[in-house]
Amino acid sequence: MSRNDGWAKASGATRYVADVTLPGLLHVALVRSPLPHARILRIDTGQAAAAAGVAGVFTAGDVNPATYGRSVRDVPILARGVVRFAGERVAAVVAESRQAAEAAAMLVDADYGELPAVVSACEALAPDAPAVHDAPWEYPGAAVRPADGRNVQSRVSHGSLADVEEALRRSEHVVERVYTTRSGHQGYLEPQACIAAVPPGTAPGAAGDPIRVWATNKSPYRMRAQVAECLGLDPAAIEVQPIALGGDFGGKGSPMDVPLCVELSRLTGRPVKLVLRYDEELTATNPRHPARVRVRAGCDGDGRLTAMAVSALFDGGAYGGFKPAVTVNLHGVEACLAAYSVPAVAIESVVAYTNTVPRGHMRSPGAPQMAFAVESALDELAIAAALDPVQLRHRNLVRTGEPNSGGHVWVEARGTETLDAAVAAAENGLDTPDAPAAPPGWHQGTGVAVYAREAPGRWGTSVRLVPVAGGPAADGTGAGGTAASGRIRLELPMPETGTGSHTVARNRLAAELGIEPERIDVVQVSTGELPPDAGVGGSRVTLGLANTVTRAAQAWRERTGDDQIVEAGPPDQQAAPIVSYCAQAARVAVDPGTGQVKVLEIVSAVDVGEVVNPLAHQMQIDGGTVMGYGFACLEDLAEEDGQVRAASLGEFKIASMGDVPRLRTVLVRGGKGVTPAGVKPIGELANVPTAAAIANAVAAAVGCRIRDLPITAEKVFWSLHEPDSRPVAAERSEAR
Amino acid sequence: MKLSFTLNGTPFHVDADPGAPLVDVIRGLGLTGTKEACGVGVCGVCTVLVNDLPVSSCLLLAGCADGAEVRTVEGLAREDPDVVRAFTEQEGMQCGICTPGQVVAAAALAREHRGAAVTDEQLRAHQSGNLCRCTGYQTIAAAVRTYLASR
Repeated sequence: MSRNDGWAKASGATRYVADVTLPGLLHVALVRSPLPHARILRIDTGQAAAAAGVAGVFTAGDVNPATYGRSVRDVPILARGVVRFAGERVAAVVAESRQAAEAAAMLVDADYGELPAVVSACEALAPDAPAVHDAPWEYPGAAVRPADGRNVQSRVSHGSLADVEEALRRSEHVVERVYTTRSGHQGYLEPQACIAAVPPGTAPGAAGDPIRVWATNKSPYRMRAQVAECLGLDPAAIEVQPIALGGDFGGKGSPMDVPLCVELSRLTGRPVKLVLRYDEELTATNPRHPARVRVRAGCDGDGRLTAMAVSALFDGGAYGGFKPAVTVNLHGVEACLAAYSVPAVAIESVVAYTNTVPRGHMRSPGAPQMAFAVESALDELAIAAALDPVQLRHRNLVRTGEPNSGGHVWVEARGTETLDAAVAAAENGLDTPDAPAAPPGWHQGTGVAVYAREAPGRWGTSVRLVPVAGGPAADGTGAGGTAASGRIRLELPMPETGTGSHTVARNRLAAELGIEPERIDVVQVSTGELPPDAGVGGSRVTLGLANTVTRAAQAWRERTGDDQIVEAGPPDQQAAPIVSYCAQAARVAVDPGTGQVKVLEIVSAVDVGEVVNPLAHQMQIDGGTVMGYGFACLEDLAEEDGQVRAASLGEFKIASMGDVPRLRTVLVRGGKGVTPAGVKPIGELANVPTAAAIANAVAAAVGCRIRDLPITAEKVFWSLHEPDSRPVAAERSEAR
Repeated sequence: MKLSFTLNGTPFHVDADPGAPLVDVIRGLGLTGTKEACGVGVCGVCTVLVNDLPVSSCLLLAGCADGAEVRTVEGLAREDPDVVRAFTEQEGMQCGICTPGQVVAAAALAREHRGAAVTDEQLRAHQSGNLCRCTGYQTIAAAVRTYLASR
């Protein structure tokens, strides 16, 4: 029962957006701003327009002036009068070949009048900071008002700071620390790409053939609505075509260059294609938000948490339109204390506009940054209270039936079991013959961290089962009539981003109907075919597909004729509150001479319900853990003066096979998942606690606390050798 | 310039800019199994065999492939289906964008060692030139091991 797309992918047959070609296709290259903040004084397109093979060169005046976005609509199709980040689209060249378009793009001559730029979130909130947008509250869907002040994309808060202050005053132990994380790219290896084909001779939106779009987008129905809203079209006038995606990790949820390509196709009367170069990916798409998180935490003498205040400031970049939440914030923030029962909490999250690349979602958006801060702070509190960090967590993890710090009561809470499983497995793994050893003279340490993620309450999707001539018997046994040669076409609304979701749907249907998976063809259909769907994201795909397919199978069994098509849509009811945990134990070795850190092993314990496809499930854990390791130790989408400097995969380093530490997984089975399929989310779990587990392990190994990711040899070296920043190391040497 | 090379066993004579990257020429011939990502020879997504050696086709100028024997994932899938089978069976992939490059790199490893044992360390070092963001590499390593064992 291997993947339905395995052979096609391994033999190079699977087609992605960049592989699609159409008759008469033109190619697009973009001219981008070299400055983080400037007035556009003049754009001379004459020389470019006259170059060989060029069909047209277009600037803001040529395209629809409306802005677009996933929630707040603040992103212009092409920069209009002003550029707000280095990398912003200024002009588009359309030509007969990509080479001709790129060569002509070099000939576009633009003059800018540089404006003062804000290049960090802290700077942006200063009262006298330059304004990135004059009136951000005027954009459709804005989450702010004039009273929110300058350069704010959104501001969200929960709980009572007064209660926290009061509780902290009465606490035995209190820590207050600031943790920072850098930007990072989602790192999918398929660059963003788009093809738009506006039927020639028809105004967009006119009755007739639809505008066809192929795009690296994981939520085709939502994207269709966002593009239609921007361009003033009926969504039905756009048909998003089914296509495989080369990875997502949260970065492929926006319309990105689709509104522009639709406009360029309309202007040239021919289909157009844009495939980003990877330097454009790294400098000008929608990477992860850098964060500065201040944590204040208190506990009593027994290690029971009394209060926590968490205040996060995120750099949202030049536009907020790449975030889908109506709050224009990151849901990982609100949930940062979800695993624990804390009597007094106050959480605040501010996302600032800056003159840097706009930020978007990346695998559990906000949560990796917050978990790094909160789970590091819990270890610091444990050290202050002279308690074992595992014990401190044990005392505070929410138990089944208890409300957590956010007041939620889950169907079950298995945090302590999951943490114990991770700790036990890490200890048991030390003696095995293949246990990775620390180099001689290096110090070893183990650290833990916990993450709890609530399953989405709504996970609906729609599927359709179509019998293909001589399909299986209606009773689903496959034994009746002409069933032996019969097939079912399972039509889905969402693309395969790589997770194996289509295989999950196929296997679930096969199991429900008692037929071989090979007799089911899984097909993503265009947006013209099924009801609007939320697409891929929010850890809801397996829940949605497994549960919807289960209900479709029931309808299939109950159908009255062999040639009947059945459909299943979203359920009527919201799911019961389900949570899943991931606890990780990281073991590191640190060279005290150079500060080099080697992560020897990461053990992940995962709280699971039913597992539909064990290997695909395991790969979410492995791939997530390696991404968490990269966030912790490698990845820094470094910027200088607002411009992304790490503009190649040689500088923005993601883990290779040789970098990966030993990974082990313990599944804590028997959990109650979302019914009817009984599954728990897995996609955005294992990447979250890793950084804190590694930081806690480094602190345990050499006594230095790294509060700024990534954890590099330089930071550890200076922390070890700079007396002011090594209080724990100093204590150690005094004790010697 | 007129460029002559063997592509997956078939002789080709094409008009090509000798300064264009080989990946553009290959994809221009409709063989889109070879993908392009980083464009700077770091990620391995565009790996092809040139005279049996793994090469980043985004870096190799087309002119340098004149007279060479070039193999892409499509050719390997026909000549050496065991490598594709191993990746399929072990699910050495998720999104599939890096997979053709991983498959070609694995075939290169087998050619380099010609049946001699390959240690895990050698395997990891060799395959480290092919980045994957999805899998965490465990199933890719298993696929390469399975393939080597099948030879």
